[in-house]
Amino acid sequence: MKKSLHTISYAAVLGTACALLLTGAGRFTAPYREANAKAEEVRNILKVLDVPFELGASSQDLLDVFKRCVRQERRGDLTLYIYEDPDAARGVQAIAVPFAGQGLWGPIRGFLALKPDMKTIQGVTFHQQEETPGLGGEIGSDWFRDQFKGKTIEDVNGRAGIRILRGGSASGPNEVHAITGATMTSERVEKMLNAAIMQIAGEDIHHGQ
Amino acid sequence: MNETHVLIIVVAVIFTNNILLSNFLGMCSFLACSRQIDTAVGLGSAVTFVMTFTTALNYLIYRHLLLPGGLEHLTFIVFIAVIAGFTQFVEMFVERFTPKLYYALGIFLPLIAVNCAILGAALFMVIRNYTFVQSVGFGFGGGAGWALAIILMAGLRRKMGYSNVPRPFQGVAITMVVTGVMALAFMGFAGMVSIQ
Amino acid sequence: MASSGPQTCGPCQGKGLATFKAGVWRENPISIQILGICSTLAVTGRLENAFVMGGALIFVTTMSNLFISLLRSFTPRGIRMIAEMAVIATFVILFDQFLKAFYWEMSKQLGPYVGLIITNCILMGRAEAFALQNPPLVSMVDGLANGLGYAAVLAIIGFIREMLGTGNVLGHAVLPAEWYVPNQLMILAPGAFIALGFLIALSNAVRSHEPGQGRP
Repeated sequence: MKKSLHTISYAAVLGTACALLLTGAGRFTAPYREANAKAEEVRNILKVLDVPFELGASSQDLLDVFKRCVRQERRGDLTLYIYEDPDAARGVQAIAVPFAGQGLWGPIRGFLALKPDMKTIQGVTFHQQEETPGLGGEIGSDWFRDQFKGKTIEDVNGRAGIRILRGGSASGPNEVHAITGATMTSERVEKMLNAAIMQIAGEDIHHGQ
Repeated sequence: MNETHVLIIVVAVIFTNNILLSNFLGMCSFLACSRQIDTAVGLGSAVTFVMTFTTALNYLIYRHLLLPGGLEHLTFIVFIAVIAGFTQFVEMFVERFTPKLYYALGIFLPLIAVNCAILGAALFMVIRNYTFVQSVGFGFGGGAGWALAIILMAGLRRKMGYSNVPRPFQGVAITMVVTGVMALAFMGFAGMVSIQ
Repeated sequence: MASSGPQTCGPCQGKGLATFKAGVWRENPISIQILGICSTLAVTGRLENAFVMGGALIFVTTMSNLFISLLRSFTPRGIRMIAEMAVIATFVILFDQFLKAFYWEMSKQLGPYVGLIITNCILMGRAEAFALQNPPLVSMVDGLANGLGYAAVLAIIGFIREMLGTGNVLGHAVLPAEWYVPNQLMILAPGAFIALGFLIALSNAVRSHEPGQGRP
């Protein structure tokens, strides 16, 4: 009986001590952790919209910048992130549209940023991908993403959609080079970008500003 | 929410994202038990069984108890407790109904509880936001993939018994290198599963 | 665990240095005891990740060995393993929480492998083999030594894999891109297995030349 009592009281004391320690630490770190999680989402949007922020900005700074400069709007099924710098009074600078799809190894998520005319591409970011580093993973690299800058989401005849080409010159206004050796990833990225572009075209959004 | 179809998850975690050959989980018991094919089959089946059920159980507990109650910081401890408890239950079951398997597995049965693949599967399920069905599929596929790897290794180690392995490599070192080559072979499965 | 020479003074009863040397080299947790392999393979693709994981293990092993040793006379046999698990898990979770709060990018890089430290056989292994039978201070040294031994192996493999796999070390270019084409294999799974295999083989080869080591 004494042994069982000893076991139970030991377990109770140890359990309580651990729980208290962990709850305390959890409470202490909670605000930092939550800010970090939020800032992560926000950082990608700010990056693709070319909103200026300091390289070493803390999570709180990022959230502040986001609140100041970006507003969220829903048009039908689309969620748009509109960058409008209140200080500069230059009107809408850029609009970001999220896209998502299935890559080769896992889900790919990113943002496509368009200029206010909703046709010209300002940039693209991939904030979640599990593609092969050095091959499909190059979609996150600067060289791949820079290709999109200045391209349009429709071809010379006004048909919506971008093309990621293997080989060839990629000279059209809506064409970019695929990643050598990463055909499948390139194809899937093309598909998911076009899905988002079709949504944009379907909503027939015109921003008059 | 994760939109991947559950069958895709199962096939992926067995071949393209094998829980051992891609995510390195479950190495300790893999190294210890891959000498005999019989032991490998037995342990592989046990791990598959435990992984399927514990991942499902852990999903239910996480979604319906930990998250609503704001108790995420207890996730690791709760998951481990569930796995340890379930393994204990399996151990008693195996001892009662299939004593031959019980004696063959010996100490490795309780070691399933600390098999990082099982806890790892539960943690991946949380990170990837799987639904219940996806979690069950992921648990089953994870175990099956692990079992596949350990059975293959047991077969290979039998063959290696006839090879002239250099002294420093004998034992774990050559097993590691062979596992590396196996992992390389499994990379050839990439692209096998296509969606949409 | 051989003690070096006669009982000397000090709280470690002269076993301190021997314990430390054993944990780091003679009984290195990865290359000799073959424990903690999962995380070694998973996080050594980048040297920075390897450092943080090594640091995590040093922290957890030292603290858990210390507390398990402090509690060893009170711990009932029956729930021994569960109690050890609880202590280990507590320190792992503490580390994880602080990592998420103050080093978020690394937390994302390491993913589930921080939580998986709980199942890292090194911790349970040292708790059972050492902390339960030895006084707190020596146990702490043992934990620290094993943690350092683990961290050292991780750093070596991380260095090799990142350098050969990307040409960089800690993100800075070391092998110039003009003539070095990064060997992608090294940062992927097969490279991890093969690198570890060769490291263990090298360690075995060196040990077999040490005097008095008759290990095959």
